[in-house]
Amino acid sequence: MTSVDPQTLLAILVMAAATMFNRASGFFLMRLVPLTPRVHKILDCLPGAVLVAIVAPTAVHGDLAMAAGLLAAFVVTRLTRSDFFAVLAAVAVAAGWRAFGS
Amino acid sequence: MTPPSPSRASSSRVAITRAGLAEGARTMIPLMPGLAVFGMAFGAAAAQKGFSLLEASLSSALVFAGLAQMVALEGWSAYWTPGALLALALLTFTVNMRHFLMSAAMRPWLGQLPGWQAYLSLLLMADNNWAASMRYRTNGGSDAGFFIGSGLVTWLVWVVSTAAGQVIGGGLPDPKRFAIDLVVPAFFVAMLVPNWKGRRQAVSWGVAAVVSVAASYLVPGWWFIVIGAMAGAIAGGYADDKR
Repeated sequence: MTSVDPQTLLAILVMAAATMFNRASGFFLMRLVPLTPRVHKILDCLPGAVLVAIVAPTAVHGDLAMAAGLLAAFVVTRLTRSDFFAVLAAVAVAAGWRAFGS
Repeated sequence: MTPPSPSRASSSRVAITRAGLAEGARTMIPLMPGLAVFGMAFGAAAAQKGFSLLEASLSSALVFAGLAQMVALEGWSAYWTPGALLALALLTFTVNMRHFLMSAAMRPWLGQLPGWQAYLSLLLMADNNWAASMRYRTNGGSDAGFFIGSGLVTWLVWVVSTAAGQVIGGGLPDPKRFAIDLVVPAFFVAMLVPNWKGRRQAVSWGVAAVVSVAASYLVPGWWFIVIGAMAGAIAGGYADDKR
């Protein structure tokens, strides 16, 4: 239960190093890039662009329940401005679709 | 609009307060049931690959990147050659390439903290708490405690639920049946909507959507996120040139 195989630990440490590198490297590199107004505008757009670049392919490659659930999340966010209700609605719509839909 | 980049002299504007930590932690609570189901799914899958309770917990505590951990399990072996370890490092790196861009976006904010505080905080960066922190920042927040508090809660729930999943093992229901796979993308949609400000977002998001979907068909792995996001951010950054 509490045994740790050295090989497994080594592989976990390799993964940890890779994720730490990812988390630090973008932040570090931006230190070398001067924060001009243009760079600031690009960085301002980056969060939204990252989210879209994850959500859009997820919606395209997913089933209809996924698309319906994400649409529900959008509508509920517009109506309630609550991320909690948006996620709840998405899960309810998609689970219902998969249970009863075709 | 974000004000222009603050100079070094005004670096004291970004602080880490207890109130910020608490607000960040509280903001993540609605997402935690969904995250716990993911964590339990990873713990159960890891148990089937022979992970002990401590090994599964260590993986979640140190790697703290659910998608990469899940993907790596697919090819997990009992014996690791140097070549296999290199492939594992590359796999982890590419699956989480988006974290490179996410941390770059944190520079104008966390860059005002002392370096060791900024880098320690970044170890807690995951998709959900990053997205929530970016929304907080867009709404005018500057307390770095928000980011740290949201990250700590996420980390804690991730590790504890992994351990629970490893113990419960194969008795867990299919997450897809209960649409748990919707939790993260739906949360991202909820984070996106308040970011809409007009033409710049239309250009940025449109380009990001088209390029990421196209790249998901053309490029193997998870590069589509990085390619689509960079295209969208650069397009948005230049969108206001023509008036």
